[in-house]
Parts: sequence; structure tokens; C-alpha cells
Amino acid sequence: MSKQLESFQNNLQEFAAKHRNDIKKNADFRQHFQQMCATIGVDPLASSKGFWSEMLGVGDYYYELGVQIVEVAMATSHRNGGIMGIEEMRKRVSKSRGSKSAAVSIDDIIQAIKRLKVLGSGFSLIPVRGTYIVQSVPGEMTLDHTVVLQQAESTGFVTKDQLVTELGWDLHRADIALEHLVREGLAWVDEQGDTTQYWFPGLFHSIIDK
Amino acid sequence: MTTDDSFPWPWQHDFPPFYTLQPNADTRRKQEEAWCTLILSYCKHYKTHQLDVAEISAGPLFNNKSIQRKLATEHIVGILNVLSKKGHVEWLDTNKKSCIIMWRTPEEWGKLIYDWAKSFGLMNTVCTLYELTNGEDSAGQEFHGIENWLLVRALKTLQSSGKAELISLGEANDGVKFF
Repeated sequence: MSKQLESFQNNLQEFAAKHRNDIKKNADFRQHFQQMCATIGVDPLASSKGFWSEMLGVGDYYYELGVQIVEVAMATSHRNGGIMGIEEMRKRVSKSRGSKSAAVSIDDIIQAIKRLKVLGSGFSLIPVRGTYIVQSVPGEMTLDHTVVLQQAESTGFVTKDQLVTELGWDLHRADIALEHLVREGLAWVDEQGDTTQYWFPGLFHSIIDK
Repeated sequence: MTTDDSFPWPWQHDFPPFYTLQPNADTRRKQEEAWCTLILSYCKHYKTHQLDVAEISAGPLFNNKSIQRKLATEHIVGILNVLSKKGHVEWLDTNKKSCIIMWRTPEEWGKLIYDWAKSFGLMNTVCTLYELTNGEDSAGQEFHGIENWLLVRALKTLQSSGKAELISLGEANDGVKFF
């Protein structure tokens, strides 16, 4: 068994060497390669030293991306309280890399953030129906707060009634969650709709860019 | 004030809660800052120096029809009061119905003009106000073409700090000497 694994690993290394440029430049290829590695339990990004990162410079790529993600988060947290749709993050990072760089994919952002998490940087990914919200300021987010964000993701806002109807919460529970999000600067209050609406600047850009 | 569609709105313009006074103090501070910046750049863009509160509250600056949100008059006056404290606004009446708005304060203009005068070697020489704002030498400067009342205000701030003296040259020409 281990002999098979060893030969598989060798093949993978040969593959990596042969397709080094493709892996660097092509997001689909990169993802495919990652999946291949995962199949045999090899994590090419496990350390910034070692065969993989030296061979492919792949460790550096995600490290660089991670730094840029942190920069974007720091530059925007004043406005969005530390949350942002992953597509907006991808766009902003792409922009800061410039048009001459190879395209950055959502999966690249996910991988880079997973690395940041390992470093204990306070980043986390909140899954929402086929996409993610990137959270860069840990704060005291409970599961209820996360759930409210998930509810707000598609429109940029929630109402109390929505939380009661969609989640089966009582008004008190909805109040507590929304009050916290307003207090943390994640949500703004809008009183000019039919009922009070709680809007998230961090999710607003995702809406207008869609 | 007539406006075309050329003003580049910031993201807050289409953000519904921007038009509701925020309950969270930190958020409210950010909101206020954003309104102040927006109002000044809007006035700068359309070269507006005077605002009538009733008129401006119905216009696109404070009333975004596409999202059906508007900033209440009391809050408009509130923000203009903040700008007044910062030296950008002066009320023309005690009921706060209209005001002068200066996207650059007279002090800021004064400094700009003084720095230019110094770099042009105009210390201890007299020049007319007309020369200052319409002469070839100041072409391309931000204060070129500035209105006379604002120019005089700017020069008066320099006068109070001893950096200039306004001189009457008789008839319509007034002048200034920089030190």
C-alpha cells in the first residue's frame, strides 16, 4: 500500500514540476491539482518551506494573497464592521493585484483565508447558500449573529419579521441579535421603509455589483 | 441651483440607512462625517456658495428618489450646524433657512494664496485683488477666478495673523500687500 502511495506521490511531484506554470497561472488547474493532492492526503501548502512551495512557489502565492486579503479587510473594516461578501473580496484583491496579474478565483480566496485561519488571524468564512461571507474581525459573533448575516446576504438587509418568519425566532431573540449587530457597527438602521430594516454595508456592495 | 448628472456619488448615496439618523454613536459619527464630506464635494463640484435649506432638501443631494429615501430637514440643519462649527458654513438668518457654504474655509484659502505669493516672490509688494485672481501669474492656481467676497475673507484671515494687509487703492481697485 505504502509503495503505491509513494509512487503516487512521485507521479504527483512529476506532474507538479511539469505543470508548474499552469498551476501558477490557471485557477481551475490549481483547484484540480489541490483536489488531486487531497485525495492522497497531501497538503501542498502545509508549510511555506519544503518541496511543494519551493517547486511551485505555491506557498508564496497564497501567502501573498493572504497579505492582500488582510490589507483589504483593514482598509474597509471602518465601513463594513469586518464583514464582506467573498465575491467583493475577490474583486478588491484582484484590483489591488493589477490587470497584468493572473486572475484570482473564489477558491483562491478560500484557500488563502484557510491559511490565515491557521495563523490565528481572526479570519473566518461564513457559508451562505453556495457562497461565503468573509469575517475579519472576530468580535463576539454568536451563531445567531451569523444566521442573521446569512439571512441578509441576498438583499443586504433583514427585518425583525423576516427573522421571526424565516427562522422561527421570537421577537426577543431577534431584538437581541439585531441590537448586537447595530452596537458592533455591522448594521445600520433604516426607518423609512414599511418596517425597520437593518442593513449591512459589508453585504451592500455585493448587491450593487451583482 | 441647477445640476446635471455629472456628480460622482459615493456608495452611501444609494444606501437606504444613510438617510436615517443612526442610533449607534460610532456609526452616527461616521454617518455625519460622510454627509459633511458629501455636501462639501457636491457644492465644490457645482460651484455653489449659497444654500437655501428648503430648496436643497428637495434636490438630489438629500433626496434620493430612486431608493425613496430622504434626509429630514432637521437633520440637514444638524449637519450644516456641524459644518458651521468647522468654519465651512455661515447662517444668513437666525431661523437657519439659508447659509453661505465654503468648501474650503477662508483660512485654508488664505494659506493657499500666501504660499503661492511667497513662491512667486511677492513679499512686500502690492498687488491688486484683480491681478491676484485674474492675472496670468495665478492661472492654474485653485484660487484663480475665486469670487471677490471670498478672496477678501481669505485675505482678512492673513491680515489677522500679520501675513498680509488689505489696501485701498482708490475707486474700484483694492489691493493687498503680503509680508
